[in-house]
Amino acid sequence: MTAYAFLGAIEHGLMFSLMALGVFLTFRALDFPDLSVDGSFPLGAAVCAVCITKGVNPFAAVAAAGFAGACAGFVTAFLNTKLKILNLLAGILTMIASYSVILRIMGMPNLPLLGYDTIFTPIENLGFAPQTAAIIFSGFAAAITAIFLIWFFHTDMGLALRATGDNMKMVRAQGISTNRMVFIGVSASNGLVGICGAIAAQSLGFADVNMGIGTVVAGLASVIVGEAILSSRSVLRAVIGVILGSMIYRLAIAYALSFQIGDFRFSPGDLNMITAVIVIAALSFPGLRRKVGVGK
Amino acid sequence: MIELMNVRKVFNPKTVNENVAIKGLNLKIEKGEFVAVIGSNGAGKSTMLNLIAGILQPDSGNVMANGKDITALPDHARASFIGSVFQDPLSGTAKSLSIEENMAIALKRGQGRWFRKGVNRKNRQLFSEKLATLGLGLENRLKTNAGLLSGGQRQCLTLLMAVMANPEILLLDEHTAALDPKTAELVMNLTAKLVSEMNLTCLMVTHNMKQAVEYGSRIIMMHGGEVVVDVRGADRQGLTVADLMRMFENVRGVGLEDDKLLLS
Repeated sequence: MTAYAFLGAIEHGLMFSLMALGVFLTFRALDFPDLSVDGSFPLGAAVCAVCITKGVNPFAAVAAAGFAGACAGFVTAFLNTKLKILNLLAGILTMIASYSVILRIMGMPNLPLLGYDTIFTPIENLGFAPQTAAIIFSGFAAAITAIFLIWFFHTDMGLALRATGDNMKMVRAQGISTNRMVFIGVSASNGLVGICGAIAAQSLGFADVNMGIGTVVAGLASVIVGEAILSSRSVLRAVIGVILGSMIYRLAIAYALSFQIGDFRFSPGDLNMITAVIVIAALSFPGLRRKVGVGK
Repeated sequence: MIELMNVRKVFNPKTVNENVAIKGLNLKIEKGEFVAVIGSNGAGKSTMLNLIAGILQPDSGNVMANGKDITALPDHARASFIGSVFQDPLSGTAKSLSIEENMAIALKRGQGRWFRKGVNRKNRQLFSEKLATLGLGLENRLKTNAGLLSGGQRQCLTLLMAVMANPEILLLDEHTAALDPKTAELVMNLTAKLVSEMNLTCLMVTHNMKQAVEYGSRIIMMHGGEVVVDVRGADRQGLTVADLMRMFENVRGVGLEDDKLLLS
């Protein structure tokens, strides 16, 4: 692996850890398998790209993208709680519907951002290379998000949300509306994913209607890899684990793409298979570790 | 206090599995009463409790509390004045949260839950004092996840949590049935202590007639979705397990050999 590929993997790992933390919030804390992430990610990218090309401040554009993502999450929560649609299906419905919304917002399937000022511009102006600037910004964003989530999970609302994913019967007996928690959790999660989509669009230099495919699997892979290496005994460990997991996942992909035996090389088309293998390996890792005799 | 007015509940209506769990039940429970509810399996005891807690909605009839109609109120909205403990000791606490976090959730019942820190020094002190009254040493394990406690310890914690926010009504659904005899006694003693200290109105479903006679200030026997025996006041004085068994046989018209649980 070249140094450029390595740094690229670190950059993407940090950047996509925001999305992975969103996935962690629904899949793990709330126990709500939310697939709308594949729609809210490009939705955030699209809203941000349109705002920037219209001359909106890039930071305001990212905030707008977060709001758009939260709206997508709100729809999923509404479908699930009020219309009693199965959580998986509610997410899929939001996901496919957002495809049309994105095309309407952008007016075209792909919107380039080259030549516009982005959130990375102020850092680049300090004399950093674009990639370094992206790493600095993404690392900063990941740290802020992690601190925010760790704080949130210890507030009254955060405790109620974690308990909802653990024991709904107990939560209702303690006077908490589980529907309210689903609304808060799924909206916040998709808001984070929307912000992540906005940052990714500015880093890539374009927003594309198809850029969300596989987002949720990548997020889940990061969460599971994080759990395999750090376990999730406390909120602190779990949140840091997700960020580390996200970086390890991107490094593993970068390594696989640089891998070569004789004439054989992996192509970008093999990425889905590689991701599946990483998830399977991480899922079976705790069991393997026990078998080898390394205690938890 | 609590009143069930002509309440009816049918499971799987209009199917071959149709089951009339509660048929036209009328029951009035006064403040401060400790009502022991007995009856065989399928008599409608748990269904009645779930109707009061709001976990189930009646098909017809009304549920009243303090003179107000609460039939349409969902379970989480009733939790501000009703505390519940279920049979399964694992169902009352969140396993991945620590003891103090579980108690913080219980303390906030009936209040808004926003962005205040869930566990602070002041309420940690309160939790520690409450746990010390159990005599299980849990006050030294505030940061232990509830999932690491035994069933009996979790049921004691659940009971503390059920009364934490000073409810008026305590609903107990066979809350000692899944515990070993010694732990069951511990939990039952704690229940009696909390109910009398806090002057709670209590409904306790039990299969254990001895428990019913010992703790109930009023004993209700259910059968086929109806209250068939209701003993209180003067009749309650000097009532023995044997008397209760005889009443039960009269109601069922059969012997008790098919219901071994009752003989405990």
